[in-house]
Amino acid sequence: MSQPSVPSTLGLSRRNFMTGTVSAAAAPLLVSSAKAEVPAAAGAALREPVVTSMRINKQAYELSLDTRTSLLDALRDHIGLTGTKKGCDHGQCGACTVLVDGKRVLSCLSFAVMNAGKDVMTVEGLASSDGKLHPMQQAFIDHDAFQCGYCTPGQILSAIGCINEGHAKSEDDIRDYMSGNICRCAAYPNIVAAILQARDQMKGA
Amino acid sequence: MDTAAPRPKENQGQPLPRVDARLKVTGQAHYPADLPTANIAYGALATSSIAKGKVAKLNLDDARAVPGLLDIVTYGDMDTVEKPKFGNSGATSIGPLHDRTIFHDGQIIALAVAETFEAAEEAAQLIRAEYDAETPTASFDSPGAATIPAAGKSPLFKEDVKAGDFDAAYREAAVKIDVRYSTPTQHHNPIELFSTTAFWEGDQLIVHEPSQNVTGWKVELARQLKIDPAKVRIVSPFIGGAFGSKGPMTPRTAIVAVAARRLGRPVRCVTSRMQAFGTQTYRAETRHRIRIGAGKDGRITAFAHEGWEVTSRPDSYVVGGTSATGRMYAYGSVLTHVSLVQADRNTPGYMRSPPETPYVYALENAMDEMAVALGMDPVEFRRINEPKTEPIGKKPFSSRSLIQCYDQAAEAFGWAKRDPKVGAMRDGDWLVGMGCATAIYPTAVAPCAARVRLTVDGDVRLQCGSHEIGTGVRTVAGQMASERLGVSIDRISVEMGDSSLPPAPVSGGSISTASVCSAVLKACDAIRAKLYAGATAEGGPLAGSHNEELDLADGKIVAKGGASAKVEDVLKTMQVGAIEEYAEFAPKGATPEALKKLYAGMPEFHGGEQDEDSVKYAFGAEFVEVRINRYTREIRVPRIVGAFAAGRIMNTRTARSQLMGGMIWGIGQALHEATEVDSRYARYVNRDLQDYLVPVNADIKDLQVILVPEVDHAVNPAGVKGLGELGNVGTAAAVASAVYHATGKRIRDLPIRIEQLLA
Repeated sequence: MSQPSVPSTLGLSRRNFMTGTVSAAAAPLLVSSAKAEVPAAAGAALREPVVTSMRINKQAYELSLDTRTSLLDALRDHIGLTGTKKGCDHGQCGACTVLVDGKRVLSCLSFAVMNAGKDVMTVEGLASSDGKLHPMQQAFIDHDAFQCGYCTPGQILSAIGCINEGHAKSEDDIRDYMSGNICRCAAYPNIVAAILQARDQMKGA
Repeated sequence: MDTAAPRPKENQGQPLPRVDARLKVTGQAHYPADLPTANIAYGALATSSIAKGKVAKLNLDDARAVPGLLDIVTYGDMDTVEKPKFGNSGATSIGPLHDRTIFHDGQIIALAVAETFEAAEEAAQLIRAEYDAETPTASFDSPGAATIPAAGKSPLFKEDVKAGDFDAAYREAAVKIDVRYSTPTQHHNPIELFSTTAFWEGDQLIVHEPSQNVTGWKVELARQLKIDPAKVRIVSPFIGGAFGSKGPMTPRTAIVAVAARRLGRPVRCVTSRMQAFGTQTYRAETRHRIRIGAGKDGRITAFAHEGWEVTSRPDSYVVGGTSATGRMYAYGSVLTHVSLVQADRNTPGYMRSPPETPYVYALENAMDEMAVALGMDPVEFRRINEPKTEPIGKKPFSSRSLIQCYDQAAEAFGWAKRDPKVGAMRDGDWLVGMGCATAIYPTAVAPCAARVRLTVDGDVRLQCGSHEIGTGVRTVAGQMASERLGVSIDRISVEMGDSSLPPAPVSGGSISTASVCSAVLKACDAIRAKLYAGATAEGGPLAGSHNEELDLADGKIVAKGGASAKVEDVLKTMQVGAIEEYAEFAPKGATPEALKKLYAGMPEFHGGEQDEDSVKYAFGAEFVEVRINRYTREIRVPRIVGAFAAGRIMNTRTARSQLMGGMIWGIGQALHEATEVDSRYARYVNRDLQDYLVPVNADIKDLQVILVPEVDHAVNPAGVKGLGELGNVGTAAAVASAVYHATGKRIRDLPIRIEQLLA
């Protein structure tokens, strides 16, 4: 029988981590030896809160969190920044996209503790303090790039990331590099139009 | 003006940006699970791993040992609460914790509540059930599937429509087809997860939950909990996509409310994406047999549509789309029959155009097959069979602009350049195909209440218990008030999504814009009447003028002759600070109980096929181009054009967006969406957004929506036909027809996948 591999600290992603623990914990059909493969102490250690510091929307935070808490749940449930949305919790829909050190990250697939010392940008941090919207936010309004609005914060952050990565050179490029963000209302053509508008304005900024 | 904001034509309103747009792009639009709630405890569901049998034993010891666990709600804990009801506001009659019987896979067996989300999840996964399992019936063709006639099993589907002598006409027809189609199981998968947050303030229960039906849920939840509906409040200010999935309340709501009562603190349960497949509703799989007979001139003489739909064991959920397909064209004779097939599945429910999506797919695919059999152009075939009255009750259509839709869409698409020969159009390695189909959706309207208040400062407050599910109803309701009261939209605040507001009907059946705007219109007209009375009263600024000579614009009452008076001044002479009107709108033909039923959460629907004077539908025509790679058989839809006529368009921007979203849904129906059912275990297999395919940005390229002007005063006072469910009807048939045109392969079972084109 295969032994669950021990992930290195660097390679620790929430997905392979959770897969390991969940399959062992919720496996009534497996023989009892399967249970013994997971050291009992691991469970207890996991529940010990860990203090983590990070900057969110240019403000410093110190958080005491369950090590299993995702960045998404930390933002929503512990800080109260509910603009970032949970759509699947599996990295499949893009609704939870935020920028970490300027790059787009699925906050549901990232443990909060993995972001110690990093800069996180959420939708709440985009507009300037005088209320002026980021060009991408205004472009989404101008082109009606949403209906229900639930995927919108993730779309907007992803769109900014897409431009910063240099993946918004053509409409086809935008379509490809925005396909990780599902819009079930299907505002896709309007999202592409909004990104084209904001891309040119962001260049000028 | 950009593409997203089409220039209004006749009987079309301005493309104002959504009134809540800024909230949505700044993260300040609060969906129910975002609403701040103090001292919250987190709930997580445990669900069954079998589809049929009984829970013999539940072992909760490991779950109870999880640090931070607060409570487990399971069998016995719901005994003082009434079971759910299937029907108006309830998704199912299955009370999952009332009874140890398992009716379907993924049925709730417990709710674990803990101090943190992580602890609740851990505990829920440690709940272990032992079952007395039986072999379940998964779907059509499974052992144990019971087939029963659908007519009479649902108040929404009373009879199988028919006209004339189908058998004789079909026998004698010169050209005929007899074909079968199928559509798969589908789940709505709105991006917002299903969630319930419940808390008690004394004997008052407050529930934050995404809902398309806050009034209905208030009444139904109160019934289950045996408390006064006045003590229940459902709050749902923004809804992150619904598509029907948030119309009926599921059993989870009462379970979370009970947990909150036991704990004496708020409980929030966010259902996982995976669990939603079994604990919410879905579109059940359907099968169809269609027979069409016609003369050589292309006139249809015989039409038969038989449908089969899967439902759960305890609940008869019927969609019965033959009511619409049987009235679509000038058939000489009509025969229809709908059957339900009972299986060990969760109860299906409304999903965007519930009857029309599967039934019109079958009809329109058959229409294309018939056009091919006749050697006719598919547009001409539909033109020839355009009816003067509908064939079942011989009633006229209140308006029917289908041919205008076909003509405008065909021209924009370039249909004339299509070479009708199969496989004749190629572009390098790509086989090109073009197809078209009709879209149809019944136009209904329901009673609705609204409160409108105009203040001396020129501000308007509009309150209505409807639901902003992304349709733009907040915006169009505000627009109606803006037009009638002459007040700029930025001075109007619109409150919706709360059962403490004036009641509105369920946001389903594409009735919201018509119903809400008719109520707002009535309230605004009552305000106008009071203002006019004040202005024209003796000594008033417009004394001597008659009401019909007056209008409201830019904060002024303007008389025909040019005289005007500021609304502010009129209110001052009336010695009031505000005029507030509470309007209750009831559609033509409403019963004397219609308004009472609105408050009881059971709104009457009028229109569609039910009215005496005429049948009422919105129509559209959709054209698609598909490209299929000659080697890999990859299927793309690079181009789609839809033209739609739906009476008065309140806002061309929000209307276009809804129709666009519908058309993309249609492409998804054609090529992507299907929930796979494991026939051994009656279990959904692809329960996530990685394996349940929906269209993504790269699937959509060139899309055009044409809003065809239409005026229809018969449908409702606002003159509005709903269009939220129109855009995705027919699309899949247009794609299937285009695939046939490109390849010569007629794919009758959705979705159309590469493997079907390889053979």
